[in-house]
Amino acid sequence: MLLTSFLHAGESNESGAASLWSLQPVKAAALPAAAPPDWPLQPMDYFILAKIREAGHTPAPPADRRTLVRRAYLDLHGLPPTEEQTGAFLHDERLDAWPRLIDALLDSPRYGERWGRHWLDVARYADSNGMDENISHPEAWRYRDYVVDAFNRDKPFDQFITEQLAGDLLPAASPEQRQSQLTALGFLSVGPKMLACDDPDKMRRDIADEQIDTTGRAFLGMTLGCARCHDHKFDPISAKDYYGLAGIFMSTRTLTKYNVVAEMHEHLVSNPSLVARHQQIASLQQDKNRKETPEEEKACLETLIASLGRELPPLVKVLGVTESPTEDAPVHLRGNYLTLGEMVPRRLPLVLAGPQQAPMPKTSSGRLELARWIGSPDNPLTARVIANRIWRWHFGRGLVPTPDNFGQLGVPPTHPELLDHFATRLVQSHWSLKALHREIMGSATWQQSAAASPGVKQADPENQLYARWQPRRMEAEVLRDSILMASGRLDPSMGGSLLEVAAKQYVDIGMLPEYEKKPRRTLYLPVFRSSGYDGLNAFDFPDPAVIEGDRRSSTVSPQALYLMNSPLVHQSSSALAGLLLSATPDLSTSDRVAWLIRHLFAREATPAERLRGEAFLDSAPPDGKAAAWAAMARVLFASNEFLYIE
Amino acid sequence: MNHRPVPTPLLLTRRAMLQRAGAGFGALALNALLGREATALTPPRLPARAKRVIFLFMHGGPSTLDLFDPKPLLRRDNGKPLPITGPRIVSAAPGNLLGSPWEFQQHGASGASVSTLLPNIASIADDLCFIRSMRCSNSRHGGALLELHTGSDTFTRPSMGSWINYGLGSENDNLPGFITINPSGSHGGAGAWSSAFLPARFSGTRIGGGAGGLHVPFIHSPLANPSDQRRELDLLAAFNQDHLAQRGPDPELESRIASYELAFRMQREVPGVQDISGEPDSIKKLYGADVDPTRSFAEQCLMARRFSEAGVRFVQVTHRYWDSHGDLRRDHARLAAEMDKPVAGLISDLKQRGLLEDTLVLWGGEFGRTPTAQGKDGRDHNPHGFTMFMAGGGTRAGTQFGATDDFGYFAQENPVHYHDLHATILHLLGMDHEKLTYRYAGRDFRLTDVHGEVVKGILA
Repeated sequence: MLLTSFLHAGESNESGAASLWSLQPVKAAALPAAAPPDWPLQPMDYFILAKIREAGHTPAPPADRRTLVRRAYLDLHGLPPTEEQTGAFLHDERLDAWPRLIDALLDSPRYGERWGRHWLDVARYADSNGMDENISHPEAWRYRDYVVDAFNRDKPFDQFITEQLAGDLLPAASPEQRQSQLTALGFLSVGPKMLACDDPDKMRRDIADEQIDTTGRAFLGMTLGCARCHDHKFDPISAKDYYGLAGIFMSTRTLTKYNVVAEMHEHLVSNPSLVARHQQIASLQQDKNRKETPEEEKACLETLIASLGRELPPLVKVLGVTESPTEDAPVHLRGNYLTLGEMVPRRLPLVLAGPQQAPMPKTSSGRLELARWIGSPDNPLTARVIANRIWRWHFGRGLVPTPDNFGQLGVPPTHPELLDHFATRLVQSHWSLKALHREIMGSATWQQSAAASPGVKQADPENQLYARWQPRRMEAEVLRDSILMASGRLDPSMGGSLLEVAAKQYVDIGMLPEYEKKPRRTLYLPVFRSSGYDGLNAFDFPDPAVIEGDRRSSTVSPQALYLMNSPLVHQSSSALAGLLLSATPDLSTSDRVAWLIRHLFAREATPAERLRGEAFLDSAPPDGKAAAWAAMARVLFASNEFLYIE
Repeated sequence: MNHRPVPTPLLLTRRAMLQRAGAGFGALALNALLGREATALTPPRLPARAKRVIFLFMHGGPSTLDLFDPKPLLRRDNGKPLPITGPRIVSAAPGNLLGSPWEFQQHGASGASVSTLLPNIASIADDLCFIRSMRCSNSRHGGALLELHTGSDTFTRPSMGSWINYGLGSENDNLPGFITINPSGSHGGAGAWSSAFLPARFSGTRIGGGAGGLHVPFIHSPLANPSDQRRELDLLAAFNQDHLAQRGPDPELESRIASYELAFRMQREVPGVQDISGEPDSIKKLYGADVDPTRSFAEQCLMARRFSEAGVRFVQVTHRYWDSHGDLRRDHARLAAEMDKPVAGLISDLKQRGLLEDTLVLWGGEFGRTPTAQGKDGRDHNPHGFTMFMAGGGTRAGTQFGATDDFGYFAQENPVHYHDLHATILHLLGMDHEKLTYRYAGRDFRLTDVHGEVVKGILA
């Protein structure tokens, strides 16, 4: 079919394209004039200040350095600073102490653990499939570690996109690079799938659909999946656009076996000599098992196999899609694959990529072309979407408050020029996310105090103007990691798998309490779909079957129950009481209260707090002092001062 | 608190709530905390017949051909090939016809057919409303189970208990609004009680069915002395009040302070509601909680009644595992004996308390089983035609609605899909299934997606 024959597709929504803000080219706006000129520290501050002034308000004063250092550690690392770290910053009198701190935080591997986890929310990352057959994802953790590493290396975001969508189609300069690119493909493979389905046709289409939906929302903020059944009702995406993309994903192989229970495709990434060695052993093993092999030869083979296998590393396979013979997809009337309509050649959505598209290659799926188009500086959506995500994860709300939806039903940006400033900046800095962090963390906006100027809270309760810092509750992982760290229990080792179930076996949700006991960062606890840790779920850990770029932050009573009664909190509070008592053998009760407050809140105790703590301790029985200190530690873990990032 | 676009102007938005925060600490913070803020429809737009639901879920797919749906031709042609065209997609090649090994009788004034496997349910047949023409879209446990619970066998969607709580809000602030007792971890797991993209507070609370015993997570204080916890909470309140005083009024901080008091109340109330030890012997006997093999399921049904009575909107109890691919005679006899008396006992008990009036009871598995044999003594999954029943909550007692074909393979007369079942349940609760929506990812989602018709023939 000629490309021109479907140019009329999507006509009904052309007016939508003309007006939808997110599809307009990114414009680098001039900085608004600012007065007073001494407030802005970074270009972004001019945009923020202009709106604050326009509304007749003034920004909040800067937060004190003690508050700022805690905020910075929690924001970039997801862990509070130690007393030493706080002290080092407070005593650093150099003029550039703040940018030095930010650089150090961005250079630490703790940064990738914190910000990689943000991306894993978007990638609906899980170690098990969920859905109907909750079997373990073989080696999915390698994708998680890839993400952490990509953030730590500040991998250019366009490259990050291409690797995740088409890592198998990229050239590689080294075996390590090839392995890393193949591991990135986990992004497409870790989606939830119905694995026990008697209809392989339905499975293939549903998997492609999930991939289209995730790709569209993760990178473009577009709900492309809506066009599966009909032209998109609100956005300029036609059903033909959808099936143009569906052809790309239908020409991609995600499973190797479609009958029940289905299996996912994996790439063997070990180096060829190791693979050859394993093959050699397997073939000798076969010889040995043959009936006609004489006994003495069997013994000989046995020795040989043992010596070849000694200290031999296992083969590494990573979860990832691969190419499949190319095919175009017909429109499915009302989404039903039993009533097929017109064939649509594989292509990109017309309203986004225009009518003048080079045809997709005949010999490959088109994923690489799709990835390159998404990661192109000319795509108006991609840079805006990721810049907005970064903003969202720093401030708790996006400039576009619906980070996964930049369509008509999303909410338009509160600061469109600022969003375009970031999108431009991102492309100019070769898609460096750390460049955005530096501007944001260096800004006067981010460094404001939570104490607003008069009238601001009443006029702007949701803080849409950013005329103050809005305190936020710690996320589930930050809370657990912070409690473990404050009680001296955190095991800081990085990467690897804690999963104690063989590949493709059913996961046992009864194991979750055991996993949760491991004092590793929460990022490394296996993530099971259709299940989950009661404590993390209570604190809004997102359902890992759906993409979530805007985690909720609820206040519900199961959170209180967790802080009052959970094993983690009780064990940690006892451990912290032990730390306190061994660190302060000669201190008075009052000074011990002060130690605890300094340790957890990085500030001095007030006289009232000392008295209150003393009274609490004095009323405990003589043999119950350790328990009373643990109780006090628990109270401080549960307090708003600990839970909120200010 | 979330910042999502809210689905209807009836909601009290966060903005409005914050602007009114000057009204003072207490009621407002507590309201926000209890989730009243984002309840979809207040009040319900249709007259409600039911206020709450108890769902008795038979995991594995009971063979309703052997329980409720007698087929004389199936018995006559026992051992012969299926004379009608079977489904397009099957899990395994179908065997020959297998007539039910059990006898059937008609019961009560309604003349409902029930097999000899279920004498207790047979005795209350006039209180029940049978739908003998159920069908769904998926022939596998996981797919069918998720479709039954969420309306989708394809994507992750909120479960019906979550939708109902989102629509109606709480009846008792000290209890969760949606409790699932001893659910299955497999075939969908938490997908069956998850709120998916609805706010987390509408998610089901799991009691049992995972690690630990039959209790709400973290509901028990590990402290030896409960008064110690009161002292801790008082100390906490003092720290938090100082913190709040330095920062000025803040609804979120105030809600969190209130959340500890609510948790403390829940901690006192939940175990009491759940505790069936104080029930009189006559009640325990009625459910079969006094003897094996009914004891375990009876205790859970009794617990379900107590939760329901205390105001939990949606309570689910799961009985398993009805997947008789082989040993149908042995296993269905055993499973029926475990389930029959507790279910009949629960419905009778609700009735004698006047609760059946506004409590909707639903009984059913994720699908039925084939009229054709698997091996000599088993049946395969059949999503194309099977029976479920309801009781109370505005359904017409003594109804026999719909029918399968002569062999019991396909729903033939008045087929009822899960989408229709969901539409009907919402209708009975006073909600229009086309209007109960939540905006997510650019669309207004419904429990019934774009499907569903209220089954008028079963309404009282």
